[in-house]
This record gives sequence, structure tokens and C-alpha cells, in this order.
Amino acid sequence: MAYKDFRDFLDTLQKEGQLLTIEDEVMPEPDLGSAGRAINNVSDKSPALLFTNINGYKDARVAMNVIGSWPNHALMMGMPKNTPVKEQFFEFARRWDNYPVAVERMESAPFQEVEVNENVNLFDLLPLFRLNQYDGGFYIDKACVISRDPSDPEHFGKQNVGIYRIQVKGKDRLGIQPVPQHDIAIHLRMAEERGENLPIALAIGCEPVITTMAAAPIGYDQSEYEMAGAIQGEPYKVFTLPGTNLDVPWGAEIVLEGEILAGVREFEGPFGEFTGHYSGGRSMPVIHVKRVYHRRNPIFEHLYIGMPWTETDYMVGVNTCVPMYQQLKDAFPNEIVAVNAMYTHGLVAIISTKKRYGGFAKAVGMRAMTTPHGLGYCKLVIVVDETVDPFNLPQVMWALSTKMHPAHDVVIVPDLSVLPLDPGSNPAGITHKMILDATTPVAPETRGHYSQPLDAPLATDKWETIFQDLLNR
Amino acid sequence: MTTCPRCDSTRAELVAESPVKGAWTVHTCPVCFFTWRSTEPEKITNPDKYDRSFKVNQEDIPNAIQVPAIPDRLGNR
Repeated sequence: MAYKDFRDFLDTLQKEGQLLTIEDEVMPEPDLGSAGRAINNVSDKSPALLFTNINGYKDARVAMNVIGSWPNHALMMGMPKNTPVKEQFFEFARRWDNYPVAVERMESAPFQEVEVNENVNLFDLLPLFRLNQYDGGFYIDKACVISRDPSDPEHFGKQNVGIYRIQVKGKDRLGIQPVPQHDIAIHLRMAEERGENLPIALAIGCEPVITTMAAAPIGYDQSEYEMAGAIQGEPYKVFTLPGTNLDVPWGAEIVLEGEILAGVREFEGPFGEFTGHYSGGRSMPVIHVKRVYHRRNPIFEHLYIGMPWTETDYMVGVNTCVPMYQQLKDAFPNEIVAVNAMYTHGLVAIISTKKRYGGFAKAVGMRAMTTPHGLGYCKLVIVVDETVDPFNLPQVMWALSTKMHPAHDVVIVPDLSVLPLDPGSNPAGITHKMILDATTPVAPETRGHYSQPLDAPLATDKWETIFQDLLNR
Repeated sequence: MTTCPRCDSTRAELVAESPVKGAWTVHTCPVCFFTWRSTEPEKITNPDKYDRSFKVNQEDIPNAIQVPAIPDRLGNR
């Protein structure tokens, strides 16, 4: 089912009625950012956007909201566009278990059509624009950023592909945000300890499976490319940039090559973030861009980010739920049923679990907070019974309203770690965290009157299938 | 030299002109790294009209928190 490249996926979206091409002239500001915001306001089934006539540019094309809806996420996985989220989650988890799938190495790449080696001016090469009005500048925010572990450069799995916010600060100068929870921050620390610059590549306009994996909190020594192969069901195509050991997605529209400068920090931001707040200005690392490759007439992919839900939330939804689910299942294989960690990238997580004995659900909640992703997120963990669908918020609210007893079922753990972008953390990066146990008490807990739960009528499952088939026609 | 609407530095530089001549210009400030396009509203491009709560004081810039902090070099510990 693999998509050859970014354009191949856009073609699929077009055929499925999930791509809206805007040929009327638009202004870079405020139209592009505003459209990115608006398309998520109007629907959770919204199409991708392709702008082909941007004021002041010749032939520039900007794509946004490419996986910014559940239908587009389903199409990314090669599933029917109206596949329910819970089915997308379980299919994603099933494919996840096929990891690793070795990559396919290519001898050349389409983005080698144009190579710029000197006088790089990103403002001339890319149709850059401001997204939210008080952003500190123009950002590149959906590039796959590739770097190698300087202490183990031959280890393919430790090569990282991640998505970080990138501010364009000069003609060949970028700012990057590697918060300490990010793998690239580990690479940068090792390079800076040696006094060396960290070579990196940025790939813009990739087919969506690698961007989804780049945004997934997978293990440090796991390869995003080998996981992309598992998710797409065939080897992922990579190309090694000449003169480097950096493997980049073969189908990228644009590739920037450069290095993060050792020991340099520079003012960056603010940027409108996925928390729905501006980040404030901080002193962050700097990238010097040495070379640019791009296809002729490349498509610049950009992502609107702001108060949820935006494309970010669709992109980091299922791919955050699944690793947490797998890590919790490692600890409790017979109990964990499903994990919904798609609210503000998992600052809120909902876990459906069976119970072995009274108090068990609270232990599940605490384990969630100590998973690799939970260390930076999981400020509120809601634990529900195995019969509650964590992706069905009315069911979750029902569990909270009937199963949770405030005197017994609220656990607050003080001063744990959280990502510094959480606007409520104080100091930045530290917060109390809370578990709400909304599971049915079991022995030795005896409180409440839960002995006569209401079942669905006997043939409900059969009718669900009938209706789904009818709706798919 | 142009004044930065955000930090009022007078060192802002022209970094791009629109490929279609005369549509717009882009400036960037080497002090606070603010970037703006000439076609944006005055509340973005005019130093007197830029939202005060988003203004940047040049004196605060060297004191901004480092994310991530610069580690010591190996052998210097």
C-alpha cells in the first residue's frame, strides 16, 4: 500500500475527494495560516489544502492539513476513509508488531533535480509565511529532521527522524527547538560535549507515513524508517545524502543539509504551540544551512498548529496512543485493552483496562506516567473499565460520572516532569499529575452498588456491522 | 537599515523581494530575529503599533532561558 512520494499521496486524496485545490490568489499572510486554522474549525473530516496562487510568488505551491482529519489519517494507512478511529488504532498497533522492516536503499532521488550549493537564501527558495500573528517569524514546522548518534554513528536505529519547530532566522540560518525529551537533544548533547557541530538534514514534503513515524515517541534505538516499513507494509525507500551518512526519505520534495552549531544558542520564538498558547521566547540552538536540494516546482508542505484540534492533533494522535499501549501491555499484558492519548499530545490520557484486584487501576495510571512518553505528558490519566471505549468520550464521561468516587479515586502525585511547553507547569517542566480511577471497584474494595450493569441488547454487534456496511456503500 | 517592529533595533535587514516584482519585501532583525513581510498589517510592521505584550526588550535577550542548556565539554568537568 506504500505511497511512492508526497505527490502520490496527494493524488490519492484528490481521488477520494479529500484534497481542496485553491487556485484563487491568496496572501501569504494572513490567508495561509488562517485557512489552516479554519479547515479544522469546520469539520473533523476536512480535506487537505493545496494553494497554487500565492501573492508575490511564481509557481509556488503550498500544501496544508495533509493528514489533518480522520479520513486522511485512514487513507495514510491505506484504509477506507471512513474507518472509525478505534479501528485505525488497532490496525496501527497490529502493524507496529511487524517492526522492524529493513529499508530499501536507492541510488538517486527526485529531489536531486535542483541543487543549490552557494548563496543559499531560504526566503527565495521556499514560500515561507507567518502562521499565527505573534509568531516570531516564518517557521518550517513539518520537516523530517534527520541526525545520527555521534557516539555510535553506524547504528542505523539510533539515527533519528523527528519533527521539530524550525524558525527561519536568516538566509541560511535556522533556529530549532530540541526540548530535552527529544531524541535529537541527546544527539546534540553528545556533539556539544565533544565540541563538534551536529550534521543534520531536513526533508520537507514527504509521504505521510514517515512524517507520522517522525512524530511518534518510539524507542531511542528504534528506526523510524524501519517502523514506517512496518506501518506501510513494505520496505521504506531511503537515499543517503552524498558526502554524509544521513539517510533521508527518497520521495521528499525539498531537502536542506546543514549542521547545528556547537555551543551556540540564540533567541527563538515565540511560536503558537499545540497547547493553544504561545511558547514565549527562549534561547535555542542554531542551524547553518549549507546546501539545498529540491524537485522542480516543489510543493512546500506546512502544518497549522494552535489550539486543538489542528492537523498536529490528528498527526500525533494514533501514533502516540500505540507506543503507550505497547509499553503498558509489556507490564500488564492480560489487562490493558486500549489507550487514548490523543488529547493535547497525551497531556490527558485515557486507559481502558481489566483489573486483577482493588487498587489495580491506580497502578496502571502510575505506570502510564513512567512510560517514556508519560514522563513528558500524562498530566491527567483517566482509567476506565475494559467495557468502556476510551475513544468514545461520552462513554468516558459516563464512567467518570458513575464509577469515580472523589474520596477514593483521585490520586495526585506532586512535582513530576512534564514538557516545558505545558503553560501550567511551574517551574516550566514540573507539574503535579493526577489519576482519576473511573473503573468499577473490585475486591477487596467493596464500596458502591455495581452488581447489575446494563447490557446492550443481544444482537447489537450484528446491527453495528450491518449499519457500517450500509454506510460504506 | 530598518527599525524592527518588535525590539526597536535599527539593524533590521532586507532578506527577500517578491519573485513577482513589487509585491512585497521581507525584513529580518539580527537582534531578536523577528521577521516580517511588508504586506502584513501595521500591527505587525509598525514599531509603535506592535502589541506591547509581545514586544521584546533587547536587554532581556541575553538572559533568555537556554533550551537545552549547553553542556560542558568532555574533559572540562
